[in-house]
Amino acid sequence: MRRLLVVGLVLALVVAVPAAAQGPQKVKLGVLKLTSSAVLFLGAERGYFKEFGIDPELVYFQAAQPIAVALASGDIDVGATGLTAGLYNIVAGGVPIWVVADKGREWPDYNLTALVVRKDLHDNGVRTMRELKGRKIGVTQIGSTFHYNVGRYLEKEGMAPGDVELVPLQALPALNDALAARRVDAVATAEPFVSRLEAAGAGVTIVQTGDTFPWQIATVMYSAKFAKDRKTAVAFMKGYAKSSRHYFDAVLAKKSGPAFDEVVALTAKYTGASPDLIRKGFPYQDRDGRLMPGDVGRQTVWWHAQKLIKAPIAEKDIVDESFLREALKELK
Amino acid sequence: MSARPVVDRARVLERSRHPVARVVGLAGLVALWELLTRTGWVPALFLPSPLGVLGAGVEMLRSGELVGHVVTSLGRILLGFALGALGGVAVGLAVGVFGVAEAVGTPLIAATFPIPKIALLPLLILWLGIGEASKIAVITLGVFFPMAINTYAGVRHADPLLLRAAVSFGAGRWSLVRKVMLPAALPMIFAGLKLGAGTSLLLLVAAEMIAANSGIGFLVLNAQNLMETTKLMVGIVLLSLLGLASHYLLTRLERAVIPWKADA
Amino acid sequence: MKVLVDGVTKTYRDGRGQSVEALAGVTFTVEAEALVAVVGPSGCGKSTLLNMLAGLLLPDAGRLGFEGALSAGRPATAMVFQEFALFPWRTVQANVEFGLEEAGRPAAERRAISRRFIELTGLGGFERKYPHQLSGGMRQRVGIARALAVDPAVLLMDEPFSALDAQTRQLMQEELLGIWERTRKTIVYVTHNIHEAVWMADRVVVLSRRPARVLEVVDVALKRPRTEAMLGEPAFVQAAERIWALIKSQAHAALRESPA
Repeated sequence: MRRLLVVGLVLALVVAVPAAAQGPQKVKLGVLKLTSSAVLFLGAERGYFKEFGIDPELVYFQAAQPIAVALASGDIDVGATGLTAGLYNIVAGGVPIWVVADKGREWPDYNLTALVVRKDLHDNGVRTMRELKGRKIGVTQIGSTFHYNVGRYLEKEGMAPGDVELVPLQALPALNDALAARRVDAVATAEPFVSRLEAAGAGVTIVQTGDTFPWQIATVMYSAKFAKDRKTAVAFMKGYAKSSRHYFDAVLAKKSGPAFDEVVALTAKYTGASPDLIRKGFPYQDRDGRLMPGDVGRQTVWWHAQKLIKAPIAEKDIVDESFLREALKELK
Repeated sequence: MSARPVVDRARVLERSRHPVARVVGLAGLVALWELLTRTGWVPALFLPSPLGVLGAGVEMLRSGELVGHVVTSLGRILLGFALGALGGVAVGLAVGVFGVAEAVGTPLIAATFPIPKIALLPLLILWLGIGEASKIAVITLGVFFPMAINTYAGVRHADPLLLRAAVSFGAGRWSLVRKVMLPAALPMIFAGLKLGAGTSLLLLVAAEMIAANSGIGFLVLNAQNLMETTKLMVGIVLLSLLGLASHYLLTRLERAVIPWKADA
Repeated sequence: MKVLVDGVTKTYRDGRGQSVEALAGVTFTVEAEALVAVVGPSGCGKSTLLNMLAGLLLPDAGRLGFEGALSAGRPATAMVFQEFALFPWRTVQANVEFGLEEAGRPAAERRAISRRFIELTGLGGFERKYPHQLSGGMRQRVGIARALAVDPAVLLMDEPFSALDAQTRQLMQEELLGIWERTRKTIVYVTHNIHEAVWMADRVVVLSRRPARVLEVVDVALKRPRTEAMLGEPAFVQAAERIWALIKSQAHAALRESPA
């Protein structure tokens, strides 16, 4: 009996002592291992989060949708990735996920994605969206950002969503294979695959998304549980805002120089990609990390019109910039 | 009478069928599930309610979406199944009857059979494209192997007595194959058909998840991508209904084609 | 049709390369329209002999042959098997028609012939039944009808009633004799049951144990048609005792031997 007591006491101490210790708070952060996550790699590497008592634990995913699912299940606290119909369905389904800051926009001169047409078709005169009417366009998945892109390309030309046939091929490399093998007529894809297709002579870019219509493609998101911990949530935002400003000044404003190269190098360290590819893949975002007003709402309206989400979502039910605003106020 | 009565020992062997428990069990589970979703403990996203799934199914039926997916999937499965079954029976027969075919065929089949057909799917897509051909091809392959192996086993295990009897009545090789080996192999062929049915369903879903824009597998994958869990459940229910239906149909067919199987 | 068996020898080689001499110079004849039984101790090669007559096995030495006119299309032999060997997927009628199919007879002819022999063997009304729905006795009747349907010159019967119970067996023996009286085929009847052999046959060929040869051909001095009362007659008893005496020592030794 006495031995049991001693063991119990020791166990209690082992558990209690670390909890009592005032170390930085661990926050699970879900990201893709791509150049587009550079701002977060920067923040982690430079200790901007640690400054405000946050210890970010990077959790890598292969695609945007699994990050949304992990936020819904509470497996991660923060996600930083693209906005998909799946995410909106989670929120519409009664599980809150909060969009809190900008992490990437399609923006003029900062093109992340493009529509690439088959070389042989291009040579035969298929040079715009109009000529792709009735043809097959490869995307990753229904409900993805690429799907959204195609929808918006069509809208810009006054065409209807049914005017092209979408062919979901699941992964970006599969899109390249399909185009090269002439199984589809065009693909909506991202760097570095766009450059690879052009270099191989398999495709020609006819629409650059950022130049054609800017939109809020990626954001920082909070799980419902994390959002309730106000103190930590705001602290994370402080670290993020600082990272965002450094990123903007070094990469987006200048596009070259020692600060630029430093970000390239550390991104290479995290992703293992070649610096040449990295240079082309930095997304645009607001210096302070503010969102494009009203764009999230616009997206949900579009998805709803395609009958892919149950109901349009009001911005107030999914966007919460209060964490960012509070953080920026305290940072100034 | 003063004699000791015989002890009833048979009670230990009794196994009642419990028909009521069967129905109540399943219905009870579904009812419990529905109740659980009503309490709101679990968000509808994680656990769609049975009534919700039914409703979504009815809605999809009315809009024609469901019929479209089912017809597409059925078409693929039936064609792939037919090709695989016919090919498998033909090869199994040949290998079982002709010594040369057996010598060449059995090591080949043994070497290729363990390859998971799902793993061949990307290769098939490369060779045959993302259209119907690769999907039907993978289903055909998946059905071919159990059919060939089972037919071969059925033929090899034809009762030698019956073969001798047939020969004693003047049967030539072709008669032997047609009138003795093939009928003798029918029970094993049907066993192969049932196996193949399960495999083809699996492969259909896999194929439709990789490169398709219609079909039940696509429906499931799409619903997953869009996080439409209710529709996902509709797809899953459809798949299990398909599995049940194919098993039922094959059993009925077997009973019709092999009326002699009942041996007391 | 007369059946001639002359100096027939057969050696089996088993998987381990060991050879077993089953028959060593078996010689006997069966007169036309006679019912001859072949008996011997277990494993002495009786069935081997029958299979050779059916053309299912070849002798290593010696000859087997038939003497007499054989019209075209008429097979020399047809066999009735101990385990019935009916095709489970064929109805009674289809089973009976099997040999006729292989002989290339047209459908109408097959139907007529099979119907005749179905009636003859007492299977009327069971044409559409499957073997699994029939009793043992009925099944063997199908076997007999099937063999008779092809109108063979010689009927080979390999312990046809061994798989039946004693009562059915006796009834089937009587029936077979009745059928034989009506069709007058040459029958070679293999059995291990001495009483059955004596009661059914004109003569009984007694084989020794392995390597088998003919010990003696015992005549059965009983009139036809055979009746149950004859079971007690001296001719019957003498023949049976003679055969048993021949076989007894052979049977003892065969029992002690390890199975082939």
